[in-house]
Amino acid sequence: MSYLEMRGIIRLYKESGVLANDKVDLSVEKNEIHAIVGENGAGKSTLMKILHGLERPDQGTITFRGREVSIANPLDADRLGIGMVHQHFQLIPQFTICENIVLGIEPKKYSIFFDREKARGRVMGIIKEYGFKIEPGLTVSQLTFGQMQLVEILKMLYRQADLLILDEPTSVLTEQEIKKLFTTLRNLKKIGKTVIIITHKLNEVKEISDRVTVMRKGKVAAVKKTAEVDRKELSRLMVGKSVLYDIERAELTRGLPVLELKEVTLRQKNQDMPLLDKLNLTVHASEIVGVAGVGGNGLAELEDVVTGLRRISSGEIYYNNNRITNSTIHELREQGLCYVPADRLYRGSSLRSSVKENMIITNSRNFQKAGIMSQKRVQDFADTLTAKYSIDGDTALPIGYLSGGNIQKVILARELEAKADFIVFSEPAWGLDIASSEFVYKKILQLREQGSAILLISSDLQEILTLADRVVVMYKGRIAADLANREITKEIIGEYMHGIRGDFEVK
Amino acid sequence: MNTFESSIPLIHNSVNIMTPFLLAAMGGLFTELSGMLNIALEGLMLFGAFFSVVFAYYTGSLFFGVLLGITVTMALSLVFGSITLYLKANVFITGLATNLFASGFTVVLAFHLFGNKGVILFQDLPELPKLTIPLLQKLPFIGDLFINHNIFVYLSWLVVIAAYLVIYKTPFGMHVRGTGLNARAIKSLGLNPRKYQLSAILISGFTCGLAGAVLTLNLGAFIPNMTSGRGWIALVVIYLGNRTPLGVLIASFIFGFAESFSNYAQGSINIPADFILAFPYLITVAALILHSMWKHYRVEAR
Repeated sequence: MSYLEMRGIIRLYKESGVLANDKVDLSVEKNEIHAIVGENGAGKSTLMKILHGLERPDQGTITFRGREVSIANPLDADRLGIGMVHQHFQLIPQFTICENIVLGIEPKKYSIFFDREKARGRVMGIIKEYGFKIEPGLTVSQLTFGQMQLVEILKMLYRQADLLILDEPTSVLTEQEIKKLFTTLRNLKKIGKTVIIITHKLNEVKEISDRVTVMRKGKVAAVKKTAEVDRKELSRLMVGKSVLYDIERAELTRGLPVLELKEVTLRQKNQDMPLLDKLNLTVHASEIVGVAGVGGNGLAELEDVVTGLRRISSGEIYYNNNRITNSTIHELREQGLCYVPADRLYRGSSLRSSVKENMIITNSRNFQKAGIMSQKRVQDFADTLTAKYSIDGDTALPIGYLSGGNIQKVILARELEAKADFIVFSEPAWGLDIASSEFVYKKILQLREQGSAILLISSDLQEILTLADRVVVMYKGRIAADLANREITKEIIGEYMHGIRGDFEVK
Repeated sequence: MNTFESSIPLIHNSVNIMTPFLLAAMGGLFTELSGMLNIALEGLMLFGAFFSVVFAYYTGSLFFGVLLGITVTMALSLVFGSITLYLKANVFITGLATNLFASGFTVVLAFHLFGNKGVILFQDLPELPKLTIPLLQKLPFIGDLFINHNIFVYLSWLVVIAAYLVIYKTPFGMHVRGTGLNARAIKSLGLNPRKYQLSAILISGFTCGLAGAVLTLNLGAFIPNMTSGRGWIALVVIYLGNRTPLGVLIASFIFGFAESFSNYAQGSINIPADFILAFPYLITVAALILHSMWKHYRVEAR
């Protein structure tokens, strides 16, 4: 029996219908550093939230130190000695480090007052015991991300955790901070703690972990000793086998450039690394450019920048040779941009508005007569679209009542009917079943044949390989590869995505 | 010399007048810190005003009147809080409902009990005890604050001190503040943010009950909607006081002074009466503008 055994964990998110964990087994040995890797949405965070009591599994058992345990909330987890650092720090910025660490189990004076001196003493004790250097009187808002990370780790140690869970701990850290963190983790291992670390950076897996569990689409794809696998194999395990779609891409010669990004850079305040670093990218008419990459490498930012949702820091963007750098979304739409966002619930639709209102929201002017909406025209339009896109649902109901697939079809119908010559798709088939995906793919290819320029941002490599003429791989805010979709494979893209291949090697 | 003499009763009066603001705002401070906009202060205060005088009348005891008045007010705040937090209603709507309910219910009940929808005078009420604190009254400048005030005035200062201690010196206060600043962090520690928000609402029920009692027991009468916006001003006082107990104390004094000045000015300065009556409200607007300018300036300076 291992130190920690999770058996047959099932977790279904009822609102979205996503099966985040599908009979997941995880076993962790005492005193090891165990990595859990997987693409975004593979179910890693859900599994760890279940282990820390923030979510309840629909089915499955957890055995810890040889006893079956029930973890209903984080306090239960604390009592068992299971601590967790969340991907987004759970700190109160206005409080001091010391206050944040002891919050919830404060030492008391006269049994009602908070004993500040004792709290400071205990926190200092832990800091010294583990050899850290930090002043507990500082306010958290003054700290760097690396220091906040340390506060989170101290929080676990204060609660005497023996099993430490870290959810993507390195995503906001600098290289030096990551080195420090790894040293800390190794020291914790030396004194007998057990660590589970979630990541999707394969070089980190190789560097820090003893064993690794690979998750894919809510299931465990493999469990390996880290020493016995290389990054290529891990990357293959993460992306999975191919699904074949019954889709043919016609041979077309691409047309003139439609969208051109020149040296586009996006910076964030207080961060050295730009989110997008001197991006050069051209999308031509009758061409689909697929953009692949692991989350956090600039995909979402690219989506925001080309659709006008975020202003770039430097560089230029051209549309049919007109400069459109930092044009407003409205101006872009007027000129013929269409956009099917990844976030279909909040960005792509207005959940409380009816299906037909959602269908006409981008061109409501066409349905007006002297400033008044013609309900008949709206209804006719909605009926046409429902038939054409086989949308299942009453057009008078709020769109939120529809299933995810149908919502996506409504958004597609709206955007594609606008007959734009430049369309941005982000994760167009997310959460759709195979039949709906095929439908969407055929539509996208149809647009390409009609001469539209298409930017397809997707984490699904199969989708990109099925549709794209060219594949651009993003890594650390830069374009790591720009490949023609002929003899490339998922594996090759995967290697670029994880920085195994590319013009710059990961240190 | 003349101006000096007249300024002393002005301050003495200000201290008297500020008491209900101070009490209501001190409770509202808790809900504010827990991350909720509590607009029900007005209605809660009105409930406290009505029930404390009615119970004092029936029991013939100020102590029991205040105690029962506060209890009923806290019960109303419990209903308000439960609907907001556990049935997940919008806090603004439930707050508004609480105010409207209090305004109507007190009048209906008054009519039912006393057959009168207007001003109800309570003749045989025991008088509020007035105290002078012997040692403190000899202090220079502020000694005047400790002479011959009714017992509620001193009580409100104790409430300020208690609020300060609870907010900054107890784990409970830390959790309330934490809830307002980052409820998810509080939840991730296994603490229940709603528990702290409900506690804060109950505390506001307590202090508003007391604040209402001050109004009616001072006067020996109940007037329909006699809080007349004091709960709203208390809300302003919280922001103006920069959401700290000491700040709230100072802001309350400013409003007490404004109202006291307008009372004084009516009798002695040749300014149109309408303007004088509007003075406290003008102060409110001016104070809010200044406060927002100051905040803006601070953010820019960073």
